[in-house]
Amino acid sequence: MNVELVGRPVARVDGRAKVTGAARYPADDPVPGALHGFLVTSTVARGEVVRIDPSQALAHPGVVAVYTHADLPRLTVPTFPYIKGFIPLQGTAVHHAGQPVAIVLATTLEQAREAANLVRVDYRAEPPTASMDDATEPPHLPLPFRGRPNEITRGDAAAAWEAAEVRVEARYSSPTRHHNPIEPHATTAQWEGDRLTVHETAQGVNLTRSVLSTAFGLPPDRIRVLAPFLGGGFGAKGPVWPHTILTVAAARLAGRPVRLVLTRAQMFTLTGHRAEFRQHLRIGATRQGKLTALVETTTAQLSRTEESIFNESDSSSTLYDCPNVHVRQEGVPPDLASSSYMRSPETTAHFGLETALDELAWQVGVDPVELRKLNHTAVDQETGSPIAGKRLLDCYRIAAEAFGWSRRAPRPGATQDGDEHVGWGMATEAHTFAAAPADPPVTASVTVGADGRAVVRIATQDIGTGTYTVIGQVVADAMGVPLDAVTAVIGDSALPYAGVSAGSATIASVTGPVDRAARAARDAVVALAVADPRSPLAGVPADEVVTAHGHLFHVRDRARRDSYRAVVGRHGAPVETTGSLRNTPGHSYGAVFVEVRVHARLGSVRVTRVVTAHDMGRVMNRRTARGQVLGGVTWGIGHALMEHTVHDRHTARVVNANLSGYLVPVCADAPAVESHFVDHPDPASTALGARGFGETPITGVPAAIGNAVYHATGRRVRDLPITRDKLL
Amino acid sequence: MPEPSRPARGHTRRTVLKSTAVTAASTAFLPVAAHAEAEANVVGPSAIAPGESAEITLSVNGRDRVLTVEPRVTLLDALRERLGLTGTKKGCDRGECGACTVLVDGERVKSCLTLAVMRQGSDITTVEGLADGDRLHPVQEAFIRHDAFQCGACTSGQVMSAVACIREGHAGSPAEIREWMSGNLCRCACYQNIVDAVADAAREVRR
Repeated sequence: MNVELVGRPVARVDGRAKVTGAARYPADDPVPGALHGFLVTSTVARGEVVRIDPSQALAHPGVVAVYTHADLPRLTVPTFPYIKGFIPLQGTAVHHAGQPVAIVLATTLEQAREAANLVRVDYRAEPPTASMDDATEPPHLPLPFRGRPNEITRGDAAAAWEAAEVRVEARYSSPTRHHNPIEPHATTAQWEGDRLTVHETAQGVNLTRSVLSTAFGLPPDRIRVLAPFLGGGFGAKGPVWPHTILTVAAARLAGRPVRLVLTRAQMFTLTGHRAEFRQHLRIGATRQGKLTALVETTTAQLSRTEESIFNESDSSSTLYDCPNVHVRQEGVPPDLASSSYMRSPETTAHFGLETALDELAWQVGVDPVELRKLNHTAVDQETGSPIAGKRLLDCYRIAAEAFGWSRRAPRPGATQDGDEHVGWGMATEAHTFAAAPADPPVTASVTVGADGRAVVRIATQDIGTGTYTVIGQVVADAMGVPLDAVTAVIGDSALPYAGVSAGSATIASVTGPVDRAARAARDAVVALAVADPRSPLAGVPADEVVTAHGHLFHVRDRARRDSYRAVVGRHGAPVETTGSLRNTPGHSYGAVFVEVRVHARLGSVRVTRVVTAHDMGRVMNRRTARGQVLGGVTWGIGHALMEHTVHDRHTARVVNANLSGYLVPVCADAPAVESHFVDHPDPASTALGARGFGETPITGVPAAIGNAVYHATGRRVRDLPITRDKLL
Repeated sequence: MPEPSRPARGHTRRTVLKSTAVTAASTAFLPVAAHAEAEANVVGPSAIAPGESAEITLSVNGRDRVLTVEPRVTLLDALRERLGLTGTKKGCDRGECGACTVLVDGERVKSCLTLAVMRQGSDITTVEGLADGDRLHPVQEAFIRHDAFQCGACTSGQVMSAVACIREGHAGSPAEIREWMSGNLCRCACYQNIVDAVADAAREVRR
């Protein structure tokens, strides 16, 4: 038999394409005759466009058109996953700084960019509200978002809080953050009659198609969206944003293909962000540290046109055993762009919860790991039913042992090394992964050609997480063929249906259908072989045929063998099968332990050691799974120590809309990470034992760092990021 | 259009000043009088009038490529939009992310921060020109071996930067590699694997 590829650290099959520059991303595909588009964006945050004078821009060499709200046809504003509430260039209202007010088309990029600067826009400006602090109206509870209520009540939390033996009450906060994938958002739109092809930096080719279908009133089957590679998304390319719709509209008006690439600065107002966030948390417990009450009110930044909350409190309401819970997710709308999903939406609220548990642990004198074990739950806190296959307790044990947690100094500020205070901290990690929609079902097709090679087709995406590689492993295992005999074709809405690569749902939702399609292909080829008098396997019962290395064998007589290539070759036509399956949503878990060093005089924090252990069911590919851990840990460091977007208090414009002012971790900031996996198949999984995982490792990192800073210095910082001004 | 001169290899102070003046004259939106003044500062036969383009020759991956560009066109946009060499990526267009890193006469250069007209006469190597036929460069091999990328958007820049980092002698230890590779952002954050890959490739290159 084949040695199974699933589970092994198989190298990425797209590696060569990526290290040679051969991989074609959506902004790389040549489109003959395409014009370059460039957006003109609003310099005011609130008010109205009074007049647009494009004359200077139109006089610039190479400029083909300047389109404004006066030129664009009326479009239908799509709902989710278009989370903006309005389409720009449909009227004169300005809802935030950086909102598009015109689009310039020119022959070259340089001409379009300069002409965009020459478009003169006059505004009637009103003073904007630039932050939640300046909002005149009080926070309010928005309507349920995608069927999920913003208020959760269990038991009597207020009474339990009043009666609690021990109480922790604290306020935590975090600023606006931006995804900043290295690849800017890019759209290339090409109309042929009423058929539309879009090369799009999309985490979901089908989501993009559905949004364009609604906006332009076009049947989905006339639209094709292509994203064979994606240069990072982190949630920013899951929803569809205005520039995509505007580029498509401009291409139709101009009668020419149009390519538009956002600038880095435009990405700070046009592609969503993690909302500024406040969290008021009250935790009641017994003297031993057992939770009895959790009362939480959060406040997230909304916008004037969009009320959805993306900083979810899943962890507060479900992660630990607590009979009395009251969570309210409120919001306030300043004059800022709409927020959206950003890698691990739970992270902001999770920071407060995991910090509060650390505060509780110190208050009751219980080790933070023991406190979490004491409050561990094996049942779903909302339904009361057992959580199948949860192995969070194993994560605590594995990571604590590997880290050497038992040697932790018992007092804060007890360890000094030269000029630096050394501290250790830990936190639980938890993430809810999504299910793909039921209709249409996620479907894969597998085609076996006369060359014996298998081609798997599915409209999913590889956003850097390793989809190409993992579905190749699945097909190779299911069919008994080598990995290099499998080609994965993805990132095209014309392929069999799959959902968005978000919510850690890709592997969870596509490997089941891929496995089914591949097994069906294997069975079909075996059936052809045993029915073919020319095959050495003629007449053998199908269940006595095994497959490995591209060959078919009799299970007891290995000399009787045939091959995929020979069977399909004799058959004279490719064998094609499909498979469909809907995945179940669920949770992945983990524990993260960190060491920090805080400079006694400079207040600078370095993360010097990280150990993680995760439970995500079966590990499909250790190499790509570890990649998600490295990424998540580093994102957590960014969140804890540096990342924050600053809005000017008077103009509500982003002050640091670049990568020199918005700091993200660089190579020198990234510590060695020791990653462990429980690697135990989840019996409830529809994905070969695996669960959705990618967004799990970040969730606990900011709190683990903050807890370690407290252990190092005795200073509790509840307002992220932990910059040195807060420690000096 | 006057024939552009072919300056000596590398950039001298004179060619840099000249190119800068050319750019100032053609990209700023100036009144006519200011134009005349700016043009007066331009010396020599390579002066290009505002809004005009020039035919230039770039030596890319060992091949001379003739293209017509405005003086304000960056080397990055010349590679991507004119020569179809899209392996080099644009991440920020302001020299902050390093995704556009190429080798110019063996040195790592952020191609978004240099103009194509300034790079005539230089040997430019992009990620497409690194492998020797089918045989990958040791850095490329090491990046695959160590899983030193995820999405791949920064990878071309990381690889080119790593080649130069090793050549500069800045790959002596993991700590040194971390410092000298910190001009290339990786938002997927494969940094640990990048350090391992560069260290591994450095050993191989030295061998």
